[in-house]
Amino acid sequence: MNILDVQNLKTHFFTEAGVVKALEDISFTVEKGCTVGLVGESGSGKSVTAQSVLRIVPKPGKIIGGKILFDGEDLLAKKEDDMRKFRGKKISLIFQDPTSSLNPLFAIGDQLADIVIQHDRVKKDQALEQVIKTLKVARLPDPEQSLGQYPHQFSGGMKQRICIARALLLNPQLLFADEPTTNLDVTIQAQIITLLKDLQRDLGMTLVMITHDMGIVAEMCKCVVVLYAGHVMESGDIETIFEKPHPYTEALLKAVPRLDQTRKLTSIPGNIPNLIDPPSGCVFHPRCQYAINICMEKVPPLEDVGGSHFITCHRWRELQGGR
Amino acid sequence: MVALRRNKNSEKTMKRGASQWAVAWRRFKKHKSGLFGLGMVIVLLAIAALHTVIAPYPARPAPDSFKPLYEGEAAQPPSWKHPFGTSVMGTDVYSEVIHGSVYTVYVAVTVTLITMLIAVSVGIVSGYLGSYVDDVLMRITEIFLVFPSLLFILVFARLYQLRNPEPFWNIFGINVPAGLTMVIVILSIFSWASYARVIRGEVLRMKETEYIQAAKSLGASSRWIMLRHVLPNTLSQIIVLGTLTMAVAVLLEAAVSFLGFGDPNTITWGRLMEEGLQDLSTVWWVEMFPGLAVFLTVLAFNLVGDGLSDALNPRLRE
Amino acid sequence: MGLGKYIARRAIYMVPLIIGISIVAFLVMYAAGDPIQLATAGNPSITEAQRNALREYYGLNDPIPMQYVRWLDHFVHADFGKSLYGGRPVNEIISTLFWETIKLQLVSILLAFLISLPAGIYSALKQRSATDYTISSIAIFGISVPVFWLGIVLILVFSFQLGWLPSAGAHGAPYLWPVFGIRNETLDELVHLVLPATVLTLAGLAYNVRLLRAGMLDVLRQDYIMAARASGISERKILYKYALKNAITPLITLLGISIGYMIAGAPITETVFSWPGLGRAYVAATLRLDFPLIMGITMIITIMILVANLITDMAYAWIDPRISIE
Repeated sequence: MNILDVQNLKTHFFTEAGVVKALEDISFTVEKGCTVGLVGESGSGKSVTAQSVLRIVPKPGKIIGGKILFDGEDLLAKKEDDMRKFRGKKISLIFQDPTSSLNPLFAIGDQLADIVIQHDRVKKDQALEQVIKTLKVARLPDPEQSLGQYPHQFSGGMKQRICIARALLLNPQLLFADEPTTNLDVTIQAQIITLLKDLQRDLGMTLVMITHDMGIVAEMCKCVVVLYAGHVMESGDIETIFEKPHPYTEALLKAVPRLDQTRKLTSIPGNIPNLIDPPSGCVFHPRCQYAINICMEKVPPLEDVGGSHFITCHRWRELQGGR
Repeated sequence: MVALRRNKNSEKTMKRGASQWAVAWRRFKKHKSGLFGLGMVIVLLAIAALHTVIAPYPARPAPDSFKPLYEGEAAQPPSWKHPFGTSVMGTDVYSEVIHGSVYTVYVAVTVTLITMLIAVSVGIVSGYLGSYVDDVLMRITEIFLVFPSLLFILVFARLYQLRNPEPFWNIFGINVPAGLTMVIVILSIFSWASYARVIRGEVLRMKETEYIQAAKSLGASSRWIMLRHVLPNTLSQIIVLGTLTMAVAVLLEAAVSFLGFGDPNTITWGRLMEEGLQDLSTVWWVEMFPGLAVFLTVLAFNLVGDGLSDALNPRLRE
Repeated sequence: MGLGKYIARRAIYMVPLIIGISIVAFLVMYAAGDPIQLATAGNPSITEAQRNALREYYGLNDPIPMQYVRWLDHFVHADFGKSLYGGRPVNEIISTLFWETIKLQLVSILLAFLISLPAGIYSALKQRSATDYTISSIAIFGISVPVFWLGIVLILVFSFQLGWLPSAGAHGAPYLWPVFGIRNETLDELVHLVLPATVLTLAGLAYNVRLLRAGMLDVLRQDYIMAARASGISERKILYKYALKNAITPLITLLGISIGYMIAGAPITETVFSWPGLGRAYVAATLRLDFPLIMGITMIITIMILVANLITDMAYAWIDPRISIE
């Protein structure tokens, strides 16, 4: 069963320089209890997708179209106040930078307890008990002592544990983790990945892992959604995708160093396109090694390839057959 | 075909990275109030440059010649002949405001130059060299920050007034008002401190960036790095602060003159207001129009400053 | 480190600053000229012998270092000496004028602070709305307008033209200003405050609003605000609890600075409104080189600035846990 079904989501940022088409046409589903990787280069729209699902896209961004079905309910049709009750309670988000996502002027206990109080209307001491319990789950040493401490008194890894606890406080059904390890040291990264993996398994949560790291995807995820310039390039099972990738995914995979293979690493030529004035046709065509005329003229649809594998490419038939 | 497309895309990226100043100017051009302020500044400069042509009457021969200049026309309210009225001494306020614009421009430009010169040198040297140089310079800066500056400006200005020096210095054939220049120096001495701190902060942030580290690892000398890398990169900050300094300088000089501590030999806008204050109830126009001129000038600099700060620090803009 | 120890250390650090500033003030003042000469210049009947007797009486004939040490000795015993004009003790002059200045300044600073809170927050929240443009425009006018000119315009309109409000002084006694026909000392005092306090409030308000608006805009863009929103915290709480505390810190500094510098900035307004305060007394004292009064007011202001700085730093440390008063 799908806990999240995003259909044709469109989010634009109305800046002075022009309209930034951050999300142009995003469709994907997330199966309950599954770990899904949301993959793409920076600027591809991964974070905005998570923000759109929670409807917390910062100004001057605006969701201007599509549907977001969560457990069958359309989140975009909800009133703001009803939507607020979903945030943190049913859907949570872990941010990329634990340092900037914790308010520097408030004690940890205070910040976290506020969330419990807001949703469950409990007394402060009850809320704090819940906070301590969750901090233990996130394996923060000495949770009782931490309550009165301020964010700057913790290390980066500890802060990220606190942020994970903040997201888990009310046992959400769906958890987005927005590059939760990018700003951490390598050794800490592994600990946080292990923690998230264990938590997902133990709590039976649905986890959407936003990352540009194919290694993390391979290690954690069952399914992958690949984004590029506000479009879904492909989505599906990790095995299928690694075996028969979209040209963009193929390029991404070639850019990952692997210990078990000796081959040349290649980077993807060019940059992510200007989202104010995106390329015509397939957004990836200027960088695609397989691009032909049709690719710059016509926008390819997201097609069902079979085996719950979806792909956006004019040439998928010949390429998948030919390789 | 495909190759062509790629080129087009890379061209776009190139154009964006071409020149940060061109980008800033394009952004500034969209800033309506900033442009308006710039227009006002240009008008002020034009008036100052052409003051002898525009003003219907010549400047006073001597500041304290109390002989009515235009017989029978003292204390006249604004009219077609005297748009801003005449003073009790019979001078044409409109002409005097026009002549005064020269001093205003002089004050704005020189105070800003001196203030920024001190602030930038102290800020960059202190921030970049660090250690004991930083300690010493910052202690000095702190002392200037806690100085009750307006009071000291007044005492210093009074000192110069009473010492009664020669009224003008002849520099390259131009009569430079000595008293006003001293007021300018005094104002500058008491305004650089907070700017030096801002610039030091900027330099400290920049010091950690990779390109400065790279320059250092390539063996560039401190002086070279400060002049070729640090200074150009703090330039946008310096320009914004400089514009705001112009506004503050014009305001402060007017206040000092208004309180009676200005250069007795130059008829600045503040000085005109000081002269008229006693007769406020009868000749209100003597106060109104010079004050309005100060206000509009300061407003113009502040509008330009706001526009520049938006254009040069896009982070603050959506 | 304990709070008491911190304050003690800061106080010790202030001593050289106070002495340094007093020396500079002393030297500049003496370099400016001879007050006796200045005071008697217009009076031909006074002989040089009489002038010299006056100088002798006020101790102005002694070498400057000796005069300074004598002044310092008195200063340490909280005595600022006697005014050269009329011989009134400076302590007495300052204590009568002090409260008039403080009253006017404090009312204006607090009003400016209180009004700027809703204005700055609203302006930032509704960025680019008509209200934001209005508030921002008023603010830029407010920082550009010369306070003395604004004061004069208000006097022209509300005193001379309409006759509603008094144009000068802090009290009307013995002729109390009628407020809606009622003559009463408190009302008289309040009505005298209206114009000067309006001018000062507008000027302060403009700075506060710009600072708060910029701070608020910056804070609202931070990740921790988005994180609070993502956790389902209500907008109200995000704004008034999480955002405001972050945005208000620079304003607290500005408040501290304004309180510290309130007398230092007083000369202009007090001159326009003939307000019987320290600022106007300072202008008069400087014009006539009344040395003891100049020194007295300078020292009071310096000490106020230093103490206000100390209190501001402490308030800062109290608000922001990242800063410790080491």
